[in-house]
Amino acid sequence: MEPENFIVKDCTIITRMAGIPSAMTLRELRERLRICSIECIYHHFCEILIRSSFDDPEYRNDFAVWASRYLRDRILAERLGILDPYKFDDLEDLRQKMIEIMDQRLSELPYIPFAKKGEDFYFMQATTLIFQTGIEIKEPEELIKFIAKMTNSSIYYHFIDSRRRNPFEKDDFSTWLIKFGKKYTPLLKAWEQIDFYFYSLSELKKALVDAFWDLKEEIQSVK
Amino acid sequence: MSNKILDSYEEVVGSLAISQLRQLGERLAGKKVVHVNSTRKGGGVAEILEWLNSLLIELGIEASWEVIEGNPDFFNVTKTFHNGLQGNQVVLTKAMIEAYENTVIENVKKLRPKLEDADFVFIHDPQPAPLLELCPKRKGKWIWRCHIDASNPDLNIWKYLKNKVEGYDASIFSIPDFAKQLPHPQYIIAPSIDPLSDKNCELSNDEIDNTLKKYNIQRDVPILTQISRFDRFKDPIGVIEAFKLLNKAVDARLVLAGGGATDDPEGMAVLEEVKESAAENPNIHILLLPSDAHREINALQRASTIVIQKSIKEGFGLTVTEALWKKRPVIGGNVGGIRLQVYNHHTGYLVETPEGAALRIREMLHDSAKIKRFGLTGRQFVRENFLLTRHLREYLTLMIGLLQGMRDHLYTKIN
Repeated sequence: MEPENFIVKDCTIITRMAGIPSAMTLRELRERLRICSIECIYHHFCEILIRSSFDDPEYRNDFAVWASRYLRDRILAERLGILDPYKFDDLEDLRQKMIEIMDQRLSELPYIPFAKKGEDFYFMQATTLIFQTGIEIKEPEELIKFIAKMTNSSIYYHFIDSRRRNPFEKDDFSTWLIKFGKKYTPLLKAWEQIDFYFYSLSELKKALVDAFWDLKEEIQSVK
Repeated sequence: MSNKILDSYEEVVGSLAISQLRQLGERLAGKKVVHVNSTRKGGGVAEILEWLNSLLIELGIEASWEVIEGNPDFFNVTKTFHNGLQGNQVVLTKAMIEAYENTVIENVKKLRPKLEDADFVFIHDPQPAPLLELCPKRKGKWIWRCHIDASNPDLNIWKYLKNKVEGYDASIFSIPDFAKQLPHPQYIIAPSIDPLSDKNCELSNDEIDNTLKKYNIQRDVPILTQISRFDRFKDPIGVIEAFKLLNKAVDARLVLAGGGATDDPEGMAVLEEVKESAAENPNIHILLLPSDAHREINALQRASTIVIQKSIKEGFGLTVTEALWKKRPVIGGNVGGIRLQVYNHHTGYLVETPEGAALRIREMLHDSAKIKRFGLTGRQFVRENFLLTRHLREYLTLMIGLLQGMRDHLYTKIN
């Protein structure tokens, strides 16, 4: 039986205050991290890619950026910055890990790091609207070539956000391509190797497409 | 504007981004949306409403834009609100409140049927905020859109206004720092610029030269420009101080140019202070421009080597966005939305003092490669984050979400 068509979806987010007071010290950050929603943690780690913000070249999550920029604690920033949310079984584990890191840092320091007035950490979360673009794809190579034309938010939805929806934390593209047999295995392996957490969405899109062009001959040689 | 305004943005943001807007718009076709503010000309809010309203209409939404009218007493009170929300200690008397509320009551007589019938009403800034309680038969969602940095308001002013805005279904702030604790969801939508408007479109060198000639500004040395209303929060005196410090070591020209807005009665007084501070220095050009001098502002920004926005209080700072879009690095005050746009060593420098501004300008004037690099980074940053297409998308997302009751849902699927 032929696999069903790949339905291209897109998403857009609207961010809002998470309803928790802002934090001005490391202790406040720790206390409020303990009670904030999982959606809030997801937003500050994962959704920074699709909200309006400057791609901070140093750290990939808001907690690390704030620790570095406003608490002026680079040690804490580095320890938080290395956390990759996609390597945790669930975000509750990530929350616990962050609390441990903050506790350790508080125990190391003779003072409580604090930000200046007006440089608070604001707890945010977002609502995501998902919608169909009306585009359906039948052939695998059609999809791969179409990725280059997709909006960044479509890439986010199908390649990153998908890991919260799909069993085995796969992206939507791979989940669909795997249905076409072993032909695309090299590409799927190449995609698995992409350390996407450290890419902007434009960079990720390019990496996905480049992987195909690098492997095109190998893929096409498989009948 | 033509019938297919959105298509003209394809060249800037790509066809898929435009298609995305049309798909979102389809979900809201036929909905009645009303925006209300207090001035049709002058200032960033009026500029946003001009294009936002047109684009909503193009998407099939029944959008309209209403302006509340008032006498000078009314605008003096609303200026007091504005100053108080931005942190100045102000006095709000019973007589002032009475003058203010009477004006809003006068306005609601004309507006009530339309507002009560609308699916969405966006009330911009504090001036029209009491309209909500004056429309008891309202059927739609009412959203208070605060464009001002209200992070540290005068408490009496906030106590009064809070009472007027608590009843809204949601509020929107430009950045999280400005949000207030309110008993409804507070959304964050950064403002944006229109890349094809007269203020931001590409200009010929001839047009830029002609603008400079018109105002007797020679291009013999680097031009530094601050575009803003003559308002103490924009710190024009601090900019002149910085320039005087810089000018001891480096030849340059400073242009301070701004328009007036019909809701800003203090502007002329501040302009006089600025002129006095400049003390007829031939290298300082002070220009009071009409509110529709968009192409001239565009030309001045493009003629500049560096753009300054040394505000001590700022909403979002769209003049910063405009400068970055034109590939100009920005020296910005370390406040409000400027901090979301100026990143040290990437798009410009944030400064705290006139001395800091002078230092960073001098540093950049010595390194043209840095100016170019910052300019390119700034342009790309604005393209990805602060163009009107992103802004429109977030308004559409918010409206769809409110219709579908998204408060408690992470995902809302629309088919």
